[in-house]
Amino acid sequence: MAEQSLASALTALLGADRVFADSAAREAYSRDATPLFRGLPEVIVAPHSTQEVAEVVKFARATKTPIIARGAGSNLCAATVPLNGGIVVSMMQMKKILEVSRNEMLAVVQPGVSTTELDDAVAKEGLMYVPDPGSKTVSTIGGNAATSAGGLRGLKYGTTKNYILGLEAVLGTGEVIRTGGRLVKDVAGYDITRLLIGSEGTLAIFTEITTALTPRPKSSQYGVAYFNTLADASVAVDAIVAAGILPATLEFLDNTCIKAVEDFAHLGLDSQAGALLLFGDDGNSESVAKTVGAMADISSSARGVRAVTLAPDVAAAEALLYARRCSLPALARLGSMSILEDISVPRPQLSKAAEAIEKISEKHSLLIGTFGHAGDGNLHPTIVLDKDDADEVTRAERSLSDIFNLALELGGTITGEHGVGSAKLPYLRAKLGDVSLSLHHNIKSVFDPDRILNPGRLGT
Amino acid sequence: MSAESHEKFTQAKLDRCISCGYCLPACPTYQITGEEQSSPRGRITLMRALQDGRLPFSDEGAQEQASFCLGCRACEPVCPAGVEYGVLLEEWRDITWRGRKRPLIIKALFQMVSAPWRVHLMSALSPIARKRKSSTDIHLALGCFERRLFPKVSRAVAQLAPSISIDPSQGCCGALHAHNGDLEGGKALAKELGEKLPGTILSTAGGCAAHLSAVLGKERVQEFSQWWSGNLKPMTRNGKPIRIGLQDSCHLRNGMGVFKEPRKILTQLGEYVEVPNAQGCCGAAGSYSLLRSRDSKKIIAPKVAAIKELELDYLVSVNPGCTRQLKSALRRARVKTKVVHIAELIALAP
Repeated sequence: MAEQSLASALTALLGADRVFADSAAREAYSRDATPLFRGLPEVIVAPHSTQEVAEVVKFARATKTPIIARGAGSNLCAATVPLNGGIVVSMMQMKKILEVSRNEMLAVVQPGVSTTELDDAVAKEGLMYVPDPGSKTVSTIGGNAATSAGGLRGLKYGTTKNYILGLEAVLGTGEVIRTGGRLVKDVAGYDITRLLIGSEGTLAIFTEITTALTPRPKSSQYGVAYFNTLADASVAVDAIVAAGILPATLEFLDNTCIKAVEDFAHLGLDSQAGALLLFGDDGNSESVAKTVGAMADISSSARGVRAVTLAPDVAAAEALLYARRCSLPALARLGSMSILEDISVPRPQLSKAAEAIEKISEKHSLLIGTFGHAGDGNLHPTIVLDKDDADEVTRAERSLSDIFNLALELGGTITGEHGVGSAKLPYLRAKLGDVSLSLHHNIKSVFDPDRILNPGRLGT
Repeated sequence: MSAESHEKFTQAKLDRCISCGYCLPACPTYQITGEEQSSPRGRITLMRALQDGRLPFSDEGAQEQASFCLGCRACEPVCPAGVEYGVLLEEWRDITWRGRKRPLIIKALFQMVSAPWRVHLMSALSPIARKRKSSTDIHLALGCFERRLFPKVSRAVAQLAPSISIDPSQGCCGALHAHNGDLEGGKALAKELGEKLPGTILSTAGGCAAHLSAVLGKERVQEFSQWWSGNLKPMTRNGKPIRIGLQDSCHLRNGMGVFKEPRKILTQLGEYVEVPNAQGCCGAAGSYSLLRSRDSKKIIAPKVAAIKELELDYLVSVNPGCTRQLKSALRRARVKTKVVHIAELIALAP
């Protein structure tokens, strides 16, 4: 369908102020936070209600037009880049917090609410929305649910999939479905909620989300340990968990990241160290002090340790967390492009993975900085390069393939928390195998018979 | 396109953006619309399309975004990648608002300040501080519209700081030009003012201070609250300390990193109350309130509601554009809070 008639048909459905088809708007929605991927949508719509979303989906089905739901567009796997054109459905006009229930410890929200907005709102009730992806100030709950976003608290608390109780969603047929609900226990039927979480907009468009909350921890404490290598830090992490400690925070940075962060944020980090391990816990103050003390002790006697210190106050702790959170942007300052990866390996394999990534960096003569959620085995090797150096771009692509193979060899996965999108789709077969891929394809057909929802991605 | 092909953005500055989107929640226009094209990241995507020729500079939607942007630079402190968005916006407007394409209001404003004598003429009927020469090397920048609209500010500074020199024959600092599509003119005027006022330039306008410091260097420029170091006694009203709020100046805060200083002063003067979103643009944004009056009113509306609720005695401003905007918005809403420049309030202190 030509752009003009597509736009005018949608305008008739929703009204002119919800439909954008001018060149500037289309250009602005041609990207998300993923480098290298770009595709122009034909039109952008911004519905205000479930009913409007359903109407747009029905229209897309009738006209066989691709339809891509988008929140804040902060994903890192090109899950919302309209590579096949079509309609981008921006969920940013649906951003109401509908309910916060202290008794039931849950919240009901529209998909455009940001992760931080939700957490701030429930904090007033002494509650916490647990998942805290790096982009939490920007990312939306809808996007978090669609990619099953992770974060810095995964080891102790789990990720988004553990905190979604129920969904209202529009299927590829335009029908509206409600899954799950407000119950802690409910095994009536297939767990469709869990199936939809992480489906990256390929099975349904979420229009309302019921999230579980937890009591807000009363206190927290953090410490930092420096090691000679990332592998040494990994061994310490393994020892901590093996000692029966399940802390809220176990994050690490390699030397490249430490230096980049220090140059950028001037926090007084030891930029000579090969690795920095940030450990911390939250809960009641006695148990926190005990856990953090134990982690400091284990680190102090671990292989290749250089120094261990505890953050004296909240400000110092915040500075350490900030250091971890700004690793990516600090690295990004080193070149005109950075490609962030997201492999995950079983924790005991972490030191092997760290060593192998260093070798991959040498083999392809590339600058790779690695940071990650050490506690849950999730690594973010980040390639920093010159986007105009074609040879370097080719070497980067080869190294990506090496990194994914490494993860799979170690019994890990090609993406821990960012999603598959378009960026990792070529590697999905290696991870899942033919039978599972074909099952994905068939599942998509059931939810989206005309394959209009985010086509060319999961379930293709 | 051929005529425009040499008019480009600084590529290295565009490359800085990693499109992470961390700027979105900080952007006042994105907060209003929720549309990517009116966010800093979206605008940089547009700049890239313009740079690569995928969109012509004449594209209406793109021009609208260059104009809709407040230029408040709230996206800069939250940008983890260090994108100099303010500079990119100035480059954008330099290209799109050149010559005949410049908005009429801007042309008129440029005319008014085009020569020092015209600037001087603006304050002919305004009782600004008198000319004086002192032995120290500190000179007061009088501002163009500030001296016309708020002459009390320079008089307050003259009273508080007997040691500074004041010369009303000075011209415009060029901030107006830099923000509205005349980068060269903006730089030239700043340099001219730098020669006219040797040593340290003391400014009572956040916008002028940020522009002057960008062109002449940080060491040459002090904004008033940065410079002030006197001790103050609290002011009272009906026996209770007065309630004071602050509206940050965007360029002072986001461009120069000055926001603790005025708060420190106000804490001494009475009961300081942080206005919700004090760091967010008030919608004045230099000439914006004239060019896009409706959008400007939309931006300030939630702020007025918040200020009304706080029942402040004084709302302090550190930039004349903000003073004007806040005064008229509070008057419209019948809020009794007085809007004053920080120097005026200090001058009132016991």
